[in-house]
Amino acid sequence: MTDTSNVAVLDDNFAATVPEAAGAKAAAWGGKGLNAGIAVAGVLTVAGLALWAMQLTGGMAQTAMRNLDSWGLYITMFMFFVGLSAGGLIISSVPKALGIKGFGGISKVAVMSSIAATVAAIGFVVVDLGQPLRVWELFAYSNLGSPLMWDIIVLATYLILSCAYLWAQVRAEAGRVSSTALRVISVVALVCAVLVHSVTAWIFGLQQSHEMWHTALLAPWFVSSALVCGTGLVTLVCMALSRAGYLELSRESLVKLVKLLGAFVVVDLYFFGCDLLTEAFPGASGAEVVAMLVSGPLAPFFWVEVVGCAAAAVICFTPSLRRPGLIALASALAILAILCKRVQILVGGFQIANLADYAAASGPMTVTNWESGLAAAYQGMVYWPAPIEWGVALGVVALAVLVFLLGLKFLPLRPQD
Amino acid sequence: MTHYGMVIDTKKCVGCHVCAMACKLENNLPNDVWWNRILTDNGGEMGFDMVGGSYPDNLKLSFLPTSCQHCENPACAKVCPVGATYRDPDTGVVRQDYDKCIGCRMCMSACPYTGVRSFNWEDPQYHMDYATGGKDVPEHQKHVVEKCTFCYHRTSQGVEPACMHLCIGRARFWGDLDDPDSEVSQLIASRSYKQLLEDRGTKPSVYYLV
Repeated sequence: MTDTSNVAVLDDNFAATVPEAAGAKAAAWGGKGLNAGIAVAGVLTVAGLALWAMQLTGGMAQTAMRNLDSWGLYITMFMFFVGLSAGGLIISSVPKALGIKGFGGISKVAVMSSIAATVAAIGFVVVDLGQPLRVWELFAYSNLGSPLMWDIIVLATYLILSCAYLWAQVRAEAGRVSSTALRVISVVALVCAVLVHSVTAWIFGLQQSHEMWHTALLAPWFVSSALVCGTGLVTLVCMALSRAGYLELSRESLVKLVKLLGAFVVVDLYFFGCDLLTEAFPGASGAEVVAMLVSGPLAPFFWVEVVGCAAAAVICFTPSLRRPGLIALASALAILAILCKRVQILVGGFQIANLADYAAASGPMTVTNWESGLAAAYQGMVYWPAPIEWGVALGVVALAVLVFLLGLKFLPLRPQD
Repeated sequence: MTHYGMVIDTKKCVGCHVCAMACKLENNLPNDVWWNRILTDNGGEMGFDMVGGSYPDNLKLSFLPTSCQHCENPACAKVCPVGATYRDPDTGVVRQDYDKCIGCRMCMSACPYTGVRSFNWEDPQYHMDYATGGKDVPEHQKHVVEKCTFCYHRTSQGVEPACMHLCIGRARFWGDLDDPDSEVSQLIASRSYKQLLEDRGTKPSVYYLV
């Protein structure tokens, strides 16, 4: 126990080996650039809100979503941001929970990135709702058997817990929270993080209606994908903040992050391989799913993911390639790959229609691009976002950036000297 | 217990789409909303109402009137976070409460019979200035999910669903599947039938005689 009782101290003092340098930069940092960033994010958030109001008053017919492809960019981004939120919390809590050496002073910034990503994830669910004013019903008439209800509960818990965890870290540094208490919170936060990804996967994976989604692998796979893009995000953010002089990211911590990223990427690819093989091998309807991904309408997203992940793994595992530029590239590729994965899951689910052996009349509410008939609507990707969806999505992302930048400005997230 | 079900004789259906129109009028459906659609069983290669099979000896023209299957094990009801869609215990009808629906569309992606649930993507608009159909039909709302109600306002009064009423081939039958003497139970017992996507385990209450 002696080894673990001072974990918090150990973790957060790690980067403070060169406190003078960090301190010197600190005085000159956080000025105009940060304020400009906050202003831009604020303006984009407001613009997004205006577009959302337009979507609600003018009708969701302005989006590209229709009856046969009833979810779109918003739910894709919801999945993506739930994933992004993983990295920060896990990277920060695993060392503390297990009592091992951490990643230096990035712990609090990492958790802040988790909080911002969680805010975006919740935001994307809200903008997808047709009747957002009825959200209170979720608490009044909760159907506890619905995976969506589980997700709402877990996501809310996750957000509150992340904030509590951040607060506990700050207080621990001030000596007001014992390291044992911090460790307990770390464990709870870690369990919650794994749950939030599993439950998000179950929104899709428990549905017998779409063969592509209906697999037990989906939950662990969502956890691994979340680790990939989450670690990628933390790496990018910390490299950027280190450049900006906000914190000191030691070479050792960076290499540790990069190795982790490589490991996660390989696990994620392995899961992908398992899934593709299981779908394709019987040569039955699952082969259709594989064909759609490998050579069908979703092929660009499939190949960007596979090649991106492979390239990221090569960079992560080859010591001579671990140069700052390439590490940033690997992190960006990892994030992009998981975004492509999310698109494949969402659009792919709708791309293969269950009653495709039957022809039906199509109308403006049936399917995106209905004008040339149902068969034509499924020729390319069945869904592509409409301009208003891009605008609202940009607004939600801007909100997350705003939350993060405000955190940088007003919260004591910098490593303590 | 009562368990309303429907039997559709595909050998009698001529694909006239009158049941789709009857449904639209009875339920005062907004423009471009169809709860009851007549699918054509032609492999999906050709458009709707087109012949399937191969020329000249193997052509076929067959239809599949499709709306909510009122499943005994409804995937939609299970996933609705607020219980806006639920299976009515007294009739076995899967119902939809417009006032409760939050518009998350989870039910639409959970339903294997994609397309039977429809979302009002805009303010309901109508070609006519007055409402048509049953006076007890609930008002349509923007941004909520709706679907075939099994004409609950009629069937709860013991009257047949509107889609049956004008069927020129007399292809549709409605009744209590739990009553072995009902017309629907007798038909299922005496004829061969199929159900849509049985492998999904939803146990539909709609039977297609083949």
